[in-house]
Amino acid sequence: MGTSVQVTPLCGVFNENPLSYLVSIDGFNFLIDCGWNDLFDPTLLQPLSKVAATIDAVLLSYSDTLHLGALPYAMKQFGLSAPVYATEPVYRLGLLTMYDQYLSRKQVSEFDLFTLDDIDSAFQKVTSLTYSQNHHLSGKGEGIVIAPHVAGHLLGGTVWKITKDGEDVIYAVDLNHRKERHLNGTVLSSFVRPAVLITDAYNALNNQPSRRGDKEKEFGETLKKTLGAGGNVLLPVDTAGRVLELILILEQYWSDKSLNYPIFFLTYVASSMIDYVKSFLEWMSDSIAKSFEQNRENPFLLKHVTFFINKSELDNAPDGPKVVITSMASLEVGFSHDIFVEWASDPRNLVLFTERGQFATLARILQADPPPKAVKVTMSKRVPLVGEELIAYEEEQNRLKKEEALKAALIKEEEESKALHGADINASDPMVIDVSKTHASHDGRILFPGANALRVAGTRGGGYRDILMDGFSPSSTSVAPMFPFYDNTSEWDDFGEVINPDNYVIKDQDMDETGMLVGGNFDGKFDEGSASLILDTKPSKVVQNELTVQVKCSLIYMDFEGRSDGRSIKTILSHVAPLKLVLVHGSAEATEHLKQHCLKHVCPHVYAPHIEETIDVTSDLCAYKVQLSEKLMSNVHFKKLGDYEVAWVDAEVGKTDSGMLSLLPCSAAAPMHKSVLVGDLKMADFKQFLGSKGIQVEFAGGALRCGEYVTIRKVGDASQKGGASGPQQILIEGPLCEDYYKIRDYLYSQFFLL
Amino acid sequence: MASTGPQQSLKRQDSSTTREEDQLIITPLGAGNEVGRSCVYMSYKGKTVMFDCGIHLAYSGMAALPYFDEIDPSTIDVLLITHFHLDHAASLPYFLEKTTFRGRVFMTYPTKAIYKLLLTDYVKVSKVSVEDMLYNEQDINRSMDKIEVIDFHQTVEVNGIRFWCYTAGHVLGAAMFMVDIAGVRVLYTGDYSREEDRHLRAAETPQFSPDICIIESTYGVQLHQPRNVREKRFTDVIHSTISEGGRVLIPVFALGRAQELLLILDEYWSNHPELHNIPIYYASPLAKRCLTVYETYIHSMNDWIRTEHAAKSNPFIFKHISPIKSIENFKDVGPSVVMASPGGLQSGFSRQLFDMWCSDRKNACVIPGFLVEGTLAKTIINEPKEVTLMNGLSAPLNMQVHYISFSAHADSAQTSAFLEELLPCNIILVHGEANEMGRLKQKLISQFADRNIKIFNPKNCQSVEMYFNSQKMAKTIGRLGEKTPGVGETVGGLLVKKGFTYQIMAPDDLHIFSQLSSTNITQGVTIPYSGAFSVLNHRLKQIYESVESSMDEESGTPTLQVHNRVTVKRDSEKHISLHWISDPVSDMVSDSIVALVLNISREIPKVVVESESIKTEEENEKKVEKVVCALLVSLFGNVTSKENGKLVISVDGNVAELDKQTGDVESENEGLKERVSTAFQRIQSAVKPIPPSTS
Repeated sequence: MGTSVQVTPLCGVFNENPLSYLVSIDGFNFLIDCGWNDLFDPTLLQPLSKVAATIDAVLLSYSDTLHLGALPYAMKQFGLSAPVYATEPVYRLGLLTMYDQYLSRKQVSEFDLFTLDDIDSAFQKVTSLTYSQNHHLSGKGEGIVIAPHVAGHLLGGTVWKITKDGEDVIYAVDLNHRKERHLNGTVLSSFVRPAVLITDAYNALNNQPSRRGDKEKEFGETLKKTLGAGGNVLLPVDTAGRVLELILILEQYWSDKSLNYPIFFLTYVASSMIDYVKSFLEWMSDSIAKSFEQNRENPFLLKHVTFFINKSELDNAPDGPKVVITSMASLEVGFSHDIFVEWASDPRNLVLFTERGQFATLARILQADPPPKAVKVTMSKRVPLVGEELIAYEEEQNRLKKEEALKAALIKEEEESKALHGADINASDPMVIDVSKTHASHDGRILFPGANALRVAGTRGGGYRDILMDGFSPSSTSVAPMFPFYDNTSEWDDFGEVINPDNYVIKDQDMDETGMLVGGNFDGKFDEGSASLILDTKPSKVVQNELTVQVKCSLIYMDFEGRSDGRSIKTILSHVAPLKLVLVHGSAEATEHLKQHCLKHVCPHVYAPHIEETIDVTSDLCAYKVQLSEKLMSNVHFKKLGDYEVAWVDAEVGKTDSGMLSLLPCSAAAPMHKSVLVGDLKMADFKQFLGSKGIQVEFAGGALRCGEYVTIRKVGDASQKGGASGPQQILIEGPLCEDYYKIRDYLYSQFFLL
Repeated sequence: MASTGPQQSLKRQDSSTTREEDQLIITPLGAGNEVGRSCVYMSYKGKTVMFDCGIHLAYSGMAALPYFDEIDPSTIDVLLITHFHLDHAASLPYFLEKTTFRGRVFMTYPTKAIYKLLLTDYVKVSKVSVEDMLYNEQDINRSMDKIEVIDFHQTVEVNGIRFWCYTAGHVLGAAMFMVDIAGVRVLYTGDYSREEDRHLRAAETPQFSPDICIIESTYGVQLHQPRNVREKRFTDVIHSTISEGGRVLIPVFALGRAQELLLILDEYWSNHPELHNIPIYYASPLAKRCLTVYETYIHSMNDWIRTEHAAKSNPFIFKHISPIKSIENFKDVGPSVVMASPGGLQSGFSRQLFDMWCSDRKNACVIPGFLVEGTLAKTIINEPKEVTLMNGLSAPLNMQVHYISFSAHADSAQTSAFLEELLPCNIILVHGEANEMGRLKQKLISQFADRNIKIFNPKNCQSVEMYFNSQKMAKTIGRLGEKTPGVGETVGGLLVKKGFTYQIMAPDDLHIFSQLSSTNITQGVTIPYSGAFSVLNHRLKQIYESVESSMDEESGTPTLQVHNRVTVKRDSEKHISLHWISDPVSDMVSDSIVALVLNISREIPKVVVESESIKTEEENEKKVEKVVCALLVSLFGNVTSKENGKLVISVDGNVAELDKQTGDVESENEGLKERVSTAFQRIQSAVKPIPPSTS
């Protein structure tokens, strides 16, 4: 009768690839997380593409690319159309993260996997929930309740609890149990005995001994040293996640030490990100909430950090040592890539990584031990067209415009004449008629001003799509993976470039949203500067050149990932003690390690499925519901034990009028039952208790010596709380004497006998 | 506590079948048939919740408090504050610091942030003697540490009470609380508005229909004008007054609706350049400090303000409105518009301006809020010829007085529509003047005439009692739940209750489904015994039905198992040891073995002859009968024997007859019958010999 639960990983098991899992509960398919990596490798999404159409709801847990990056692409390409649930910060910051990714990519390539509009329309499907909000699904998911809970790690980070018929399925990855400056620790340990727990093994082998304070001090000192020696510091970060914690650490350190080296925070969305964050105080740590309530101090009103959304602003900043915080953390694209290339050759500079780079990215390569002496990078830049190219482009534009005007006129004419004659019209140019027919569905709207260039760019981009999707894979010879560069291979005929009318139909819809976007009416606002970059209708092209960068600057990795370390994860897991445990996301080694550990210490059912392997974690729990009759309950005497009240019942089964099973008092004498001692004995507490009763007690050889002769000891392994272990075993031994019975009575008093 | 008419009949009709714990009591300690000092007490199944903790603005000192002495504050589990207005939150520091209340307090984030500012200001402004002060600033600061925050829709559970809140409109951070105790849901609306305005969202419709809805009735059967009409009247009055060279006074409550009026005025000024030389003053230093709060919690506001915020600058940074600190800084030259608190013109800046301006015909006073009984604002609305100034003198009231309600309370239409959607089984009206409330009650009664909905309007301290016969459902899980039993079969297991959920499980499953664990205690006692082991074996076999001898595999010493419970082991020449797992029966068996071992050298057991054994059986039976009688007497008192071997038990005039042989009980009184039969069963099982082993 248990609720059926199946888990199918779509990406991110036995490796550190992005996360994406299919969890099906009584036939209702949840896609939990929809991640992509900074390389945007479409092959990773292969498994998702097969099931996307069958998904009923999407749950997002964090706002970074690894957890939600593929959402726009999946919505656009795979027919994913389910409602999406996320917390408000994950929604807003996720949107900004995707903008930043897109804008960074667009700067250096003809990126066309998705557009800003795709991002917007994907995120429009998001329903935002607050922590501990029980959201009841309706329709197909009737009876299922989903609730986000605090996960730590990133702002708005979520542990998802899915409940059906009293059984909990919990999805908790990338947790942080520690309280940080801006975040509270996860509440995962407040859940006990869920039917299924899905968690990651990412940090299973990673134990961090140092305390937060020491680490932050070391961090500050490292920066100070570099800056003092005249070097610059580059902090490659994510767009809107861990960067918040780093900013707060820097703010504090700068205030404490009264430093005045400038700190620049540079992403395409920096200022709107901080604007949003300022209004997310209720999602942050208790201390932040408290300081705001008491003094209305918002920690994100920054004093030392300056935001830039444009690299030229940074270039205009005065020379001298500075700290630059910028995206992406992977150094693959974005400002961090360019700045790294500029700064790498100066030995005074420092590149400080605060998180492990994604697999096969430049950051990961640089984090190798020993770091490479030189790396090959591709510098790409979008430059406006000049000279002949520009003239050629403009001619092309004019020609297209004229063509369209002609088409529009023809359509109008055609419609008019249709209305008049209801017959075909013989036009002078057969080609135009052909095209106009395909365009009939969207009449003259094509002529929206300003939208032309964008649409044309889209059309031109269409030529690359196949190449990028199929041909993209890190080449085995190159140090870092890179985008292949191809010439425009689109076909031309006598009338110009061959165009695919389908592109017009889709783009036309997108255009309306673009129009809105420019007007500033859309939800996710982003900086005008960056908007102008992308909506810039000035003709431009991408130039690439490859160069080898000598890595002379210092490279340091300090862990500010904000994830619980391996040891804590194990402690939390054995506390939560799920009935069944599913391990995902983590290197094969880490996954295997954690699996072995959990089998021994957590529960006997530990699964580590492979990609597209469906495992059934339906609980073998049997249950039926009964009504407790008043008569029975009036004879039940509960004993209170912490949050619980316990009693022994013997009852006879009856039926109520509505056919429900009900429990009635026994008509005959109840059979004898084996008595149960309920309670958990803590030896240390018991020692104190006996001490208070005037009995001499001491620990000796793992046992408690009470008085002169009596010993009490616990037998068996009590550390495993999961399904396998039975009740606690306690052994009391001694010679026949008065003390023995006295101590036994004290021991009994620690339990409830039922 | 008194009980109003309809409930009494309800009580009578149900009293035979319901028990005390099914009774749900709701008592308004304030805001019952009045506006002000909102405070509603509710208790059900031993759980107690209090909603709001306000003061009455027309009174001062202790008289302004709700009737806290009617309840025991220490019994309250949870206190929920809906919004920051003084009549909903201002007695909280008193309640937290000066009473025995030890429960938990919750409010939303914006409410908590503004609460502190508002109350600190209230303490400073209210000019009462030190004895009359309910609390001081330190009390407010201390109370801040005790207040916990809850986000909209977040579910919190305290002692089995589950609650969450919905957006209520009204002011920033205003919430409606839904409380769920053992499946009975109570919705407390606080002040709410179903109309979206410039910055706030409209009140949400809860997903679930509550069993009881405690709803405000401030506006009774009145209807609001449409928002645009209201705004036009407001701006027209102001425009015409200042164009004739008059001054406009708008007495407002410092926070909440004032922000809405400022948004309206700022927009109107922007659209009318000719007014740019007329100053608008907003006399509230508080508002400026609250601005950061409004800025930060922009996500609690409606989409209009959010897009406005996203697209342009913060709409709460006004272009045409200048803040002003006090009357001293105010230069009264020519026409102006002044918004000043308090809204009721009791004292303070708004009153000072009123005194200055009331006798000039050109001036106008626009009252935008709700009129609280007993305040000057309420008095002047009836346009008396004269008013009493603060200095005690009388002055003619010549200024025009306009009452344009902007207070975001639901009107009659909104209330009807809201209740129509919710369809709660019981409606309790609070927060309304007696007359208005009475009229609303009549209207609702006719509206819901054909449906079984009860409507109450209790006075302060008047309890509404209701009965909810909640079915207790349990889930049988784990090993016990493997097979669903048929009717008549018996089920035995642990009943585990957490909050209001019940589970039945086998003892071995306890640690799987709960955080509790069961324990086995193994005992080992060493006894000096130097006799032959076979003698012991022989003696034990004479007493116990089941004694099995075997060899300990490790040490090769002989062992005996008595009743499959206690193992007797020969440790050495001089010692034997007993081992068993704790359990009352095993403890008893082991005790008797110990006694036997200790006495073994002293006594030789009597040789029992067959005939004697039969005799002893008879004797035994007699003994049992005696014991049974004695125990019944100790339980029930009056027990007599009848000739047919039956026992007659009479308690309080009820008589039960017990058949000693079969255990059948006959009685008129069901309760007694049950008790006697249970008692007899237990006695029977106590006097019978222990079965050799229990499975």
